[in-house]
Amino acid sequence: MQPSTTQPIIEFDRVSKIYSSGAGAVSALHEVSLAIAPGEFIALIGPSGCGKSTLMRLIGDLEQPSSGNLRVKSKTPEQARRDRDYGIVFQSPVLYEWRTIRKNVELPLEVMGHPAAQRSERARTLLNLVGLEDFGDAFPHQLSGGMQQRASIARALSFEPSILLMDEPFGALDEITRERLQLELLNIWGSAGQQSTVIFVTHSIPEAVFLADRVVVMSPRPGRIERIVPITLPRPRDFETRESPAFFQCETAVREALRTVERGHV
Amino acid sequence: MSEKALLTKDKQTSNNRATPSFAGSLSSFAPPLLTFIVVIALWEAAVRLFRIPLYLLPAPSQIIATFAERPGYLLRIGMATFSNALAGMAIGCGLGALVAAVCVRWRLIADGLIPLSVGASAVPIVALSPLLGIWLGAINPASKIAVVAIMTFFPTLVNVYRGLIAPRADALLLLRSYAASERDVFLKLRVPAALPFFFNALRICATLAMIGAVVAEFFGGPQNALGVYIKSQAGILRTPEAWSAIIVASLYGLLLYGAVLLVERWVIPWRR
Repeated sequence: MQPSTTQPIIEFDRVSKIYSSGAGAVSALHEVSLAIAPGEFIALIGPSGCGKSTLMRLIGDLEQPSSGNLRVKSKTPEQARRDRDYGIVFQSPVLYEWRTIRKNVELPLEVMGHPAAQRSERARTLLNLVGLEDFGDAFPHQLSGGMQQRASIARALSFEPSILLMDEPFGALDEITRERLQLELLNIWGSAGQQSTVIFVTHSIPEAVFLADRVVVMSPRPGRIERIVPITLPRPRDFETRESPAFFQCETAVREALRTVERGHV
Repeated sequence: MSEKALLTKDKQTSNNRATPSFAGSLSSFAPPLLTFIVVIALWEAAVRLFRIPLYLLPAPSQIIATFAERPGYLLRIGMATFSNALAGMAIGCGLGALVAAVCVRWRLIADGLIPLSVGASAVPIVALSPLLGIWLGAINPASKIAVVAIMTFFPTLVNVYRGLIAPRADALLLLRSYAASERDVFLKLRVPAALPFFFNALRICATLAMIGAVVAEFFGGPQNALGVYIKSQAGILRTPEAWSAIIVASLYGLLLYGAVLLVERWVIPWRR
């Protein structure tokens, strides 16, 4: 599946994650192995409980594996986090309500100790990039949900992380806003100098197909990788991509993989 | 481009919502003001109509006339009581916020202290006044300040603690993903998140403080103090004098409350 000969940026080697609760142990991920190449756009899809969010959170050191080996840029996830190797976008924008949009975008740079002039320069560039240049001085509650999510993407990109972790970032948005933001995300991703690696968790088949180089289909109880569907649609992709026969073929491939998952577990 | 126009429009509408117009604030002020005037008028009419004796209930006009005789004196003794309220509130709210911060750092302390502090709001702390009078001196303002400090400490501790632990998991994970220090988590996330809770506490404490300061003086205090004056005048049935002092106490109470609201608007601009 993995075409490249380069060293993978993220490598899962039989990684398992078990949550022990009062009711007993729940296996969220079972011996998952996966190699992700630098600059790849990976979509994780599957029914709820398949561990796709867990997989993403393990990469980001927001949770730790129970067993197996996970390397991020040949380091432990914790070291990668300390080196500020990844930016994160949650389903909700998680903007700090007491900060203006500009100050929210500057937050990571502030924490990382960048000088003020550099911060505001960087914030201006990013607000331009996500089309919020006129809203730097607004407070989050003054913006629509789609605009807030744009701001949170700008915040994640502000320090140019090499890995972007996105946990259903467009899941709470309406279909129209969602499709527009998908396109904007690809444009931003394509325009960045050295392309970052994106791990994108989603529930939506068209979203996964439209965005990704590879769609990782996962199955629940225990969470594991069912199939990996390569998406060979040419880039740059645009609104017409969605209407091409190849797009439907990819969608069908992912849908069938998901159906196998359902059949095996109903 | 049409999208840009849409965004701008979006912002304008939300801005309109954020800043209420002058007419809007007038219409929200008018009903309570009107009610106030009606109540005062009814009071005045009842006293005159039923010929209620002066020692039972003076008419508002008599109270105002009594106040007008020596406004300087009343405002001055009011100031003495008000200073106690202010000092006590500064100590109580300051310490409350400080202990709340300690509780966030060491959750074990919080587990023991916070439930107790919630319970403390049910304790009539003002009843401690006579004892504090014994410990710190009945005439000494320190005993009044102590009553107010204790009264305002617990609501502040509970509210600020709730504010400091209010940030949700995602907001904390975000900072974690930047490898932020504990100090940054506290200063850039917990403290700003707690500010609205802190001002909520200050509003509660502003009313408590004036009550505590006046009632504490009922149990003794320096001659020129509001509580002492109210008690002594009421004791010799000079009710218009007592009432005019009560009005002064209310004025200072409102002043304190209004000041808190003003500062809150200035410090927390992101809340409408």
